Amino acid sequence: MAEIRKCEFPDDLYYDVERHAWAKVMDSGNIRVGVTAPVGTLSGGELAAVTPRKKRIGKEINAGKSIATLESSKYVGPVNSPVTGTLVAVNDEQLKDNPNLLISDPYGEGWVAEFEVPDWDAQKEGLLTGEAAQEAYRNFLESEDVSCG
Amino acid sequence: MDEDRVLIIMTSGINTPRRCATPFFFASLAVAMDLEVDMFFTIDGTSLLKKGVAETVYPKEGGAPVSDFLNDAIESGVTFYCCTASLELNDMTPDDLIDGVELVGGATMWELAEDASKILSF
Repeated sequence: MAEIRKCEFPDDLYYDVERHAWAKVMDSGNIRVGVTAPVGTLSGGELAAVTPRKKRIGKEINAGKSIATLESSKYVGPVNSPVTGTLVAVNDEQLKDNPNLLISDPYGEGWVAEFEVPDWDAQKEGLLTGEAAQEAYRNFLESEDVSCG
Repeated sequence: MDEDRVLIIMTSGINTPRRCATPFFFASLAVAMDLEVDMFFTIDGTSLLKKGVAETVYPKEGGAPVSDFLNDAIESGVTFYCCTASLELNDMTPDDLIDGVELVGGATMWELAEDASKILSF
């Protein structure tokens, strides 16, 4: 686990830094995705609602498309998918009860969605992991003067 | 009709501040859901498009001005259309409009409505 400007970045995830999203392989073979720690700061620190696109379960979604929306009194924005695949699950029940799980536990209970991604091995080449991801995030956080906590 | 396109008709303005934040918020939200969003301003809605006005209208005392919500909508990619005839109703000229607003006739509202899959009116 790396910590950069008080933002945590687990070593074993694959990151789409531009979209502030992560992806990881689950035991089922599905790809779980969520948002990275800086989203908490970028969205204003407290969310009123997180709404995953439950109606899109079963549909093919391209990388970059919206899989959820974040709302607060001062912010509205999308969660954009870091992968292309079939949406198979969303974490709507937990995030409905406590939208701020997305901020307090972004890599755990605050996950957003799961996909079937048959060509994951090819797609992960387009994402960053380990030190490369940390370096990219360090550049972003410093250039935008963003920190967590 | 385009399934991913929506239209918001904005008729509320400076005389009803409480009605002036949510339409912009909904517009930004729709963009975040990958929808293409048009906002058509007419009747009192046009009053919010006058330079410097939205900064002075507060939906809630002590809260953010309407300009915060309006600018978020513009920055997210919402397209603003203003009804030509409503300028006169609000004692405005085309030069009074903020940047980024397309001045159109009322018939454009019907064209936008034909293109949209859903229409909201505030």
